[in-house]
Amino acid sequence: MRIRSACVLEATGIIMSAAKTVRQVPTFCYNCVSGPDFMKVKVEDGVATEVAPNFDAADVHPARGRVCVKAYGLVQKTYNPHRVLSPMKRTNPKKGRDEDPGFVPISWDEALDMLAAKLNAIRAKGLIDEAGLPRVAASFGHGGTPANYMGTFPAFLSAWGAIDYSFGSGQGVKCVHSEHLYGEFWHRAFTVASDTPNARYVIAVGSNVEVTGGPCAVIRHADARVRGYKRVQVEPHMTVTGACSAEWVPIRPKTDPAFLFALIHVLVREHGLAQLDLPFLRDRTSSPYLVAPDGLYLRDADSGKPLVWDEASGRAVAFDTPGAQPAVAGCHRVARAMVVDADKARREYADVDGKTAYEMLAEHIAKYTPEWATTVCDVPAATIRRIADEYLANASIGATVVIDGQTLPLRPVSVTLGKSVNNGWGAYECCWARTVLAALVGALENPGGLVGTTVRLNRPQDNRHLSVAPGEDGFMVQHFNPTDKEEWQSQPATRNLHQSLVPIVGHNAAWSQALGPTQLAWMFQEERPADWNMPTPTFPELWIVYRSNPAISFWDTKKLAATVARFPYLVAFAYTVDETNTMADLLLPEATDLESTQMIRMGGTKYMEQFWDYRGVVLRQGAVEPQGEARDFTWISTELAKRTGLLKPYVEALNRGVSGVSPLKGAGYDFRLDPAQEPAPEQIWDAVCRAATTTLSAGKEEHDLAWFKEHGFYAVPMSRLEWYLTPTMERLGLRYELPYQERLLRVGRELGNRLHEHKMNWWDEQLSEYAALPEWHDVPARWVRNLEKAGAKAADFPFWLLATKSMQYHAGGNAGIALMSEIAQNVRGHTGVIMNAKTAADLGINEGDRIEVRSHIGATYGKAALVQGIRPDTLVIIGQFDHWATPFAKDFDLPSLNTIAPMTLDLTDATGSGSDIVRVAVRRVEAA
Amino acid sequence: MTHYAMVIDLRRCVGCQTCTAACKSANATPPGVQWRRVLDLESGEFPDVRRSFVPVACMHCANPPCEEVCPTTATKKRADGLVTIDYDICIGCANCIMACPYDARSIVHEPRYAYGDAPIASEAARFDPARLGVATKCNFCQDRIDLAARTGQVPGRNPEVTPACVNACISGAMRFGDINDPASNVSQLLAQTEHFRMHEELGTEPSVYYIWDRK
Amino acid sequence: MSTALPHGPNRIAPRQQANWDWRAASNFIAGGSGGGLLLWTALVALHGGDARLLQAGGLALIAAGLTCVWFEIGRPWRALNTFRHFGSSWMTREASLAPLLFVAGLLAVSSGQAILAAITGLLGLAFLYAQARILAADKGIPAWRHPRCRPLVVATGLTEGAGLLLCASGAAPRLWPVAVLLAALVALRQFAWRRYLAALANDGAPAGAIRALRRIDARFTWGGNAAPAVLALLAAVSATPLLAVVAGVLAAAAGWHCKYTLVCRAAFTQGFALPKLPVRGRGTSGAGIKPGWEKSARRLAV
Repeated sequence: MRIRSACVLEATGIIMSAAKTVRQVPTFCYNCVSGPDFMKVKVEDGVATEVAPNFDAADVHPARGRVCVKAYGLVQKTYNPHRVLSPMKRTNPKKGRDEDPGFVPISWDEALDMLAAKLNAIRAKGLIDEAGLPRVAASFGHGGTPANYMGTFPAFLSAWGAIDYSFGSGQGVKCVHSEHLYGEFWHRAFTVASDTPNARYVIAVGSNVEVTGGPCAVIRHADARVRGYKRVQVEPHMTVTGACSAEWVPIRPKTDPAFLFALIHVLVREHGLAQLDLPFLRDRTSSPYLVAPDGLYLRDADSGKPLVWDEASGRAVAFDTPGAQPAVAGCHRVARAMVVDADKARREYADVDGKTAYEMLAEHIAKYTPEWATTVCDVPAATIRRIADEYLANASIGATVVIDGQTLPLRPVSVTLGKSVNNGWGAYECCWARTVLAALVGALENPGGLVGTTVRLNRPQDNRHLSVAPGEDGFMVQHFNPTDKEEWQSQPATRNLHQSLVPIVGHNAAWSQALGPTQLAWMFQEERPADWNMPTPTFPELWIVYRSNPAISFWDTKKLAATVARFPYLVAFAYTVDETNTMADLLLPEATDLESTQMIRMGGTKYMEQFWDYRGVVLRQGAVEPQGEARDFTWISTELAKRTGLLKPYVEALNRGVSGVSPLKGAGYDFRLDPAQEPAPEQIWDAVCRAATTTLSAGKEEHDLAWFKEHGFYAVPMSRLEWYLTPTMERLGLRYELPYQERLLRVGRELGNRLHEHKMNWWDEQLSEYAALPEWHDVPARWVRNLEKAGAKAADFPFWLLATKSMQYHAGGNAGIALMSEIAQNVRGHTGVIMNAKTAADLGINEGDRIEVRSHIGATYGKAALVQGIRPDTLVIIGQFDHWATPFAKDFDLPSLNTIAPMTLDLTDATGSGSDIVRVAVRRVEAA
Repeated sequence: MTHYAMVIDLRRCVGCQTCTAACKSANATPPGVQWRRVLDLESGEFPDVRRSFVPVACMHCANPPCEEVCPTTATKKRADGLVTIDYDICIGCANCIMACPYDARSIVHEPRYAYGDAPIASEAARFDPARLGVATKCNFCQDRIDLAARTGQVPGRNPEVTPACVNACISGAMRFGDINDPASNVSQLLAQTEHFRMHEELGTEPSVYYIWDRK
Repeated sequence: MSTALPHGPNRIAPRQQANWDWRAASNFIAGGSGGGLLLWTALVALHGGDARLLQAGGLALIAAGLTCVWFEIGRPWRALNTFRHFGSSWMTREASLAPLLFVAGLLAVSSGQAILAAITGLLGLAFLYAQARILAADKGIPAWRHPRCRPLVVATGLTEGAGLLLCASGAAPRLWPVAVLLAALVALRQFAWRRYLAALANDGAPAGAIRALRRIDARFTWGGNAAPAVLALLAAVSATPLLAVVAGVLAAAAGWHCKYTLVCRAAFTQGFALPKLPVRGRGTSGAGIKPGWEKSARRLAV
């Protein structure tokens, strides 16, 4: 019998076998938003050979040190022969899909000098161009994850100044955009999750968390299943999450608001207030606020504070009157009050009837019965009613749980939303409805209920509790983009107009701009509405792209790629040639995941289901030497700073903590770098390591880079109380701005005033979304109207095409990795277009037949994958393929929704978001 | 006497193929060869549909038909329950493949690489010509089990001596241990749950158990 | 227990095995015919006939079959390892019979001794039986492991041998005993075939396997069994050698076709089955499934 590699593990992680030196290198994977996850890379004689979990982190990491399937592809990613391994410059000045870029290798010196010359020329002209827009633009891919791989580049960007992040590669349509904006608005929840460890009942509306939630979500939900929770999955196609749920409800696409409205109806109209969480509604929400007949809050005529009806005194009082017992329901006569409308217009009222916000909700929701909903969403009324009943029963109103010595309400029910449900038209309604559903039973930000993760539109990013401060009307402070006459941005500072068009996205946080309406940036480069009365947007003079491939990952990709081809200068940090960077002028090969060094934060609460009992920092380190001429991003960043004369502000940014995890100088420590000196990458990260550990340990411990290279991470315990926002709200005496959206109503009116003052009506449809209580507005019909407007017949496109994500590919950045391609074939649907088997039979389509899926703007082709777990009127394509330049992936011959989904104002909602859905026709083009 | 078994909780499995990838990573199997994979099985008719995920590999049968038919004795059943293949003896006749009811075995006759005809560095570092032209399959990461015998560590408890797939499983669906030890994790788990083994009617006595419900 | 074909990726439902191609099938075809022929030539020799040429033919068939399979195995230069597992492997046993068979056969051919021919004949029968047991032991192929596959494989080997003998006997004066023998054997083979098919369908098997076998049923029954029986008897009655040759060729070719089908068309793998579907949270378990099988629930209850 052959005995292989008899090895002895040593404490150092170094294994010696007969001839090989084997190292186990701790590092992290953050290829999708559900990271970071821990791993160890096995390195044999300098070659990375295996990826495995890092069980040293088992007690710290919710997923016990494990990484998801994607990380196992990183070895092949490192040695992929298709990598760009030296800087390359373009020799063919013509750009386009059919143009050979004629890339030729150049030295790093030449490449950096070329880029620096461009940047220096721009700087000499000024950072802002004649249209008021930044001359430099930058696009980074999937959910901010590139920041975990770009070393100190953020410090360079910070040193540079104004940069336009408008050109998205799917932001707004591939993420959960409305959830980001409204979630953060209502409960500081950039992403929203169920409190799975305590959950008993989860209604998941299209939320495919078993695929996109990473190892932390997967283990939490697996534990919950074994424990016996119930998850009802409401979605047109049975995803992996649907498969792992107790019940699948195949709802008609884009009718989710109707389903959710009906759930509210059952709770409010059929069960009634007595069965709901009255104290929560009274004390933690705006339910008692009195609303005037004009839909605005009745306010105290003197203080301007919203009024509530005090049952103790039998009169209207300001909401924060000590000792008041606000009525949650009812209509109450108020002797004297006023309202504040858009543009601070005040109206006085006397002897006016004020209905409580809850009463307004109850009246509003009366028409949305389960019987009504069934006609819209094709879910039986009895099913809707049963689900609502189960939701309420499982909410266990009145129950409590003790967490770290503190007694909190236990409300183990939640409604989670998935991509395409919570972006685009209908998403506001869904986000509102599910948050109201949580509030009605007191499950909002309480154990077991609906909880937020992190903040990205508020500061500080790493602690959402600290972002909560008293604002107007008893609610949290919100940093809206101004809509008043004086401050409204009539000349956009960015190409996606985020400050001009989307008040709720704000402007004071790092992600505000990137979460603007990114498709508008693309659309308005080419054509603008007839009544466009703003400066004509310019092309960015220099566009930086990293880990992003908009030419394939947005919509109407052919058109978008043509726009990219017209950009004057594109510099791409490139792994392989791809559909976007094939139009680059300069390719710079950066050291990838296993080749470079960076420290990031971990733990706390962050994205998806990242709820930890620890917080800390984790190091990604060069497990192996970079291939070819690939360079560590930190080295590249420093070189660029040096060559553009920005070394001083760059180092100062590093000292402030940009690119690191905490400032390099703080109470009791000073690891600052000398701004006059060019710091080596190791020197930078050594300082970051020391500052991070000193901060985290409150000065008790200090660890250097060498320590981290051996140990990988550093963590300190964190109380689970930090998972829930409600205790913080209680402490500050604040209310959630639910269920009534008076502020949004006012802001929408103001925004309309500004646009109309400038004679612009092209955003009017979006303005209709600003409603205090959202109405059903036949969301699916918008897609039908859109194709009819384009001259097509609705009857010719009888199916819905949706997109879904895959754990193997997720955002598609790893499409060139052979291992992922192989194992993805084990998961149904990765071979082509998922469609209902009976529908296929009716159309004469058999398993594996090559089919054409055609929308009114084009066609995509793939093999039919026939299943029963999909609605007969729906097709689904996994991922975003249709590559034509990326080596390996371009041979997949896989279809993509992106190719045939239109990018249009009609299908853009008020947040600037759209949805991955399009009407299509299907036919067989070739038998299997 | 120790008998190693794997217990897979189908209630937990999400079909993510992390075990598939981890197996390929740990065992350096060539493209197209999957000693372990997860089945994605749909049943029923719309709208009453079920979709189940079932990790499959060699079942390390107590009564292994592959071992019985192997003409060379390359396939052996060890005392600890592992069914192994000696690549230096196997002639690649594929009789074991015909005998295995679990589609667990593969034979590759020519080198295969992820990207074309040449190995990438990680493939070159681990290329093993002994694996060409012979039957290969999951061996419960036998090197790790053997390491346990030398170090005293416990497979299923200590990751260093636990199969790579079990270590990697992100849903916690896969467990490994000594089924003859009533105190082991696998014995305890089986005692609390309803379970079955694949194709039990064939009398192969698999060492892989599938949990489908609580007791 | 649902047996509907699964939707989705491959390698869940049974599929035709891909590791044994025509080379492996040739071993069962030629080896089985050779074994049968050796048995019947032994009877000829025991009755005083000179069957040395046919014996040589039988040996050549077996040698050809083994050569084909040698070209199929992954490590042909280790072929001698085949002899290491006599205790349970019918492949080892088959291989072990080969040298004995060739020694006895060559001695019989060279000496013309009836007793050596008889020994060779018995070894030929044993070789044929070993082949049947090889298939029977392959639990991964439901169509092979079925208990009624074994008699079919033996019956067809004997029939093919008799068919070849009849071809050679066409010119011989005493045609009729061989013709009757062949007629009896094809009847026996048909009986085994029918019983096999019926039992397979009744006990459950991969639908693809049953389809593949049913596809040749009419051809095999009428062209491969009925026709040679009639033709053989006609040949005997009319003393028409040509009819005898046709009958013999048909009987042998039908057996080869049957075995080729068995190895290369009906050798569907077991596939996978779930007697219970997992309970997800507070959901319920669903009915068991055994995708790609035709009638199977009876034997699956756990």
